[in-house]
Amino acid sequence: MPGIDECLLEAMRLPGARGASVVDWTSGLALGTVGDSPNGDHEATAAEAAELARLAAEHKAFAPEEGADWSGGQPPVEDLIISNRDSYHVLRFVRTTFDSSVFLHLWLGRSDGNLALARIRLGEMAERLVVG
Amino acid sequence: MEAGPLPGVGRPDPGPPVDPAVDPSVDPSVHLAGADRSAPVPPVLSPMLSRLAEERATGVLTRDRGVLYLVEGQVVHAESPATPGLDILLTSRGALGSDGWWEAVSEAGAERRVGRFLVDSGRLAAGALELCHLGALYDAAFFTLGASSGPARFRYGVAHWIGPVRPVTVGAVERETLRRRALLHRIWPDPDTDTAELVRTARAVDVVLPPRQRTVLDQVDGERTVSDISRVLGRPGFHTLVDVRRLAAAGIVTTRARTVECRAPETTAPPMSPAPSVSTVTAQAAQAAQASADPDVALLRRLRDALEAL
Repeated sequence: MPGIDECLLEAMRLPGARGASVVDWTSGLALGTVGDSPNGDHEATAAEAAELARLAAEHKAFAPEEGADWSGGQPPVEDLIISNRDSYHVLRFVRTTFDSSVFLHLWLGRSDGNLALARIRLGEMAERLVVG
Repeated sequence: MEAGPLPGVGRPDPGPPVDPAVDPSVDPSVHLAGADRSAPVPPVLSPMLSRLAEERATGVLTRDRGVLYLVEGQVVHAESPATPGLDILLTSRGALGSDGWWEAVSEAGAERRVGRFLVDSGRLAAGALELCHLGALYDAAFFTLGASSGPARFRYGVAHWIGPVRPVTVGAVERETLRRRALLHRIWPDPDTDTAELVRTARAVDVVLPPRQRTVLDQVDGERTVSDISRVLGRPGFHTLVDVRRLAAAGIVTTRARTVECRAPETTAPPMSPAPSVSTVTAQAAQAAQASADPDVALLRRLRDALEAL
């Protein structure tokens, strides 16, 4: 059964992966990090990504049409995708069976990354991380 | 669970004798009030803790708001009465049945490997345990290293029965604690709602609250504090602190004491001169205005409310 480190190392095996982390979006705390981070500081990156994740999780505009179902206190949003000129960021919310506000953050190089594959894999990893 | 030895199982190691050489009386803490005024944030929260990290100490550091367990200078566990323990976090939403928890404690408590047992016996995924435990560790450490802490004590050789999960460095814990203080301060600079009994203000909730904030607001009943609400919801204390500060910033929640103070002139007007209350309110409003570097809508609302209450 994978722990945080195994999960992050698996994420780093995806093509184009530059860095990955597990972050709490209420506090902005990086619970685990691996590889590089865009501004050379995983803790600062986590705090910034957490702000974005919180807005996406909380604002109704991003909830599914049938309404924001927060069953178990977990957000209805699955993931966030950001692209810029040289990279992608995928933020995947982790649904836990205890109260939490956690997401996986994967940073991918744009030229060698495969966004579709990364998104699918990250979803699987988020599930395995907490279900085993 | 409360800090300290497990009832019946795994009493703390007698270990090496308690070292009186570690000064039990002085552990000057940073006082947030100083840090607020744009002064550079002091890098060290607890000189004693830094020293213990340097000497790679193993044992338990006790301060008046909680405890930190160290193994070879790294933080492996933390508990504070201000925030729910791992047992409440794991059982209140059904990640783990209460029976499963107690079984693990009685099976593996004496060997101090309850965490490992939960995973090995298939009760909990390794990732789930790590996420929950790590969250609880930073959470309890935040309260333990709180600004108002008095003297600290360290007992060498004491280990916690949860056993090894995911140790973190003292530096990481201290940085995170300072970062969290700054985060709270940015949301709403007044710390009164952190510890007092909370009440809803008369203000109608005119915006759609995020569900996690709404859940917290539903627990505000004039009696409960942030720490009570965290326990009821099975939610880390810091998470509730953040939501309550947001609700306070929006003028939706305040402390019970403050409501009484503000209403005093209306109910018992003449005997006491109204002047002091008026000036109190004005002073509060002025203080609120000064306290925030970038006044926002919520602040202006609070200011307006305070002026209207005159």
